[in-house]
Amino acid sequence: MDQGRASERLLTQRKGQKRQSERKGKIIVYTAATITIVATLAVTFFLTQRGLQSFFVSGINPLEFFTSANWNPSGADPSYGALAFIFGSLAVTLLSAIIVAPLGIGTAIFMTEIAPRWGKRILQPVIEILVGIPSVVYGYIGLTVLVPWIRDTFGGSGYSLVAGVVVVSVMILPTVTTLSADSLKSLPDGLRDSSYALGATRWQTIRRVLLPAAIPGLLTAVILGMARAIGEALAIQMVIGNTRIIPDSLLDPAATMTTIITLNMGHTTFGSAENNVLWTLGLLLMVMSYILVLTVRYLASRRKV
Amino acid sequence: MQAVLERELVEQQWTQEQQEVDLCLDVTDLSIFYGPKQAVKNVSMPIKRHSITALIGPSGCGKSTFLRSINRMNDGIKGFKAEGNILYDDVNLLDANIDPVALRKEIGMVFQRPNPFPNSILKNVTLPLKEHGLKSKAKREEYAETYLKQVGLWDEVKDRLHESALSLSGGQQQRLCIARTLAIQPSVLLLDEPASALDPIATAKIEELLLKLKEKYTIVLVTHNLQQAARVADDTAFFYQGEIVEFSDTKTFFQSPKEKRSEDYISGRFG
Repeated sequence: MDQGRASERLLTQRKGQKRQSERKGKIIVYTAATITIVATLAVTFFLTQRGLQSFFVSGINPLEFFTSANWNPSGADPSYGALAFIFGSLAVTLLSAIIVAPLGIGTAIFMTEIAPRWGKRILQPVIEILVGIPSVVYGYIGLTVLVPWIRDTFGGSGYSLVAGVVVVSVMILPTVTTLSADSLKSLPDGLRDSSYALGATRWQTIRRVLLPAAIPGLLTAVILGMARAIGEALAIQMVIGNTRIIPDSLLDPAATMTTIITLNMGHTTFGSAENNVLWTLGLLLMVMSYILVLTVRYLASRRKV
Repeated sequence: MQAVLERELVEQQWTQEQQEVDLCLDVTDLSIFYGPKQAVKNVSMPIKRHSITALIGPSGCGKSTFLRSINRMNDGIKGFKAEGNILYDDVNLLDANIDPVALRKEIGMVFQRPNPFPNSILKNVTLPLKEHGLKSKAKREEYAETYLKQVGLWDEVKDRLHESALSLSGGQQQRLCIARTLAIQPSVLLLDEPASALDPIATAKIEELLLKLKEKYTIVLVTHNLQQAARVADDTAFFYQGEIVEFSDTKTFFQSPKEKRSEDYISGRFG
């Protein structure tokens, strides 16, 4: 214990020597944060700069890019209409969300409300394993099982929008289920108790009390699933067929923004118009993810319980 | 001689009263187990209709467990087992054939922490009505007004019925929870420390409300607050380590307890 007057012990003249370890910790944390922020900003800046070059340097008409489905960047008279891919990405994302939302939320209800012990012991580990399977494996399974099945059952080549949707749905199902279950689990027990104490059945409790209370969390789960779906490239590319036209039906082949980037990035020259449009597609993907993330944040801020 | 006669007379009156008493719930030899642990031991307690029965005792003495077994809220707990009788009208509530959903419509419960649904104030009261089959929306809202008035909340919330119930203060939320419970038209109200999370003014309002409600409902109240029991209860049961140490009318209990342990507890020497 220091002796002497309080003014000597407490006033800040000894700050330098005393705060050495403080400073070290501060430097580590600040460096880590700075690197993360700089990396994020750099990627955003680079993507924006590259992505906009198609319009400002290569002179591609933005209207054409967004509204025409005529994609022929390497032809004699090149055209850069990306609508088919934008449509493909949105179709895959929305359709898989529509399929996965009821399945994922239903499974989450089963895990948390109907069979919590069984759900915790068996279902949860299984789902966590599914999250960890790399997307190329999903694509491979889709390619060897799903595509031939579609070909034999419905005709056509089998490579189709619906194949992409199914593969992506299976991929994002575990994400949506886990996040939905978390959101249901985080509801206060008082809510369940009070509903049961009012003579509600289990189904009434789930439908009228728990689901409404969990809605912001459930929407977040579905949107994060969509964010994963829109960014997925490899697995979709293996089963969707990769054509340059807007599909007429679910059984027609299609393409998404991500599949076009991965297919073409290898054989275009950096700085060429053909290369720049790929960056524009990348920029568009980033903007879409940002919108999804902002939506999630908005929903999270509205969460009341 | 005179004294003996007087005592006999008093005892006679007492037995007569005892026979005339209209019991709402008659608990006999109730034992409750959680796995190997016995939480409630051979408890017997007559609960009079249209009265307030207070259960007091230190934490973990089994009073909440006792309360929650009346409307079968313990059913889902692993290892839970109850023996004995809780006679309600002509049926034992511990009977395996009792439908807990139907039971809880007759025996309502209010919890320690106010737990309104994260909906609007109005919907908190109309939702149970809707789920119990009241189809007309106008009717539901009419009933909601009645029950909100009954708990003295109507004047405070009538202009903001569509705001979130979570925007209310703790005391208001608790009264809303009581209104919500009244909406299912129970005959018994079980209250598990309904005022322990509230400030003194909100507590006073709840107590006032309980005294008003006992004209229509039979109330069983678990409380940590001895003064509260003394103020509102007709009968008081003192639980200790799963047993009832003493059960008598509140006045006798607080003024001349028969048991030493009751006296110690009331005077704050343990618990």
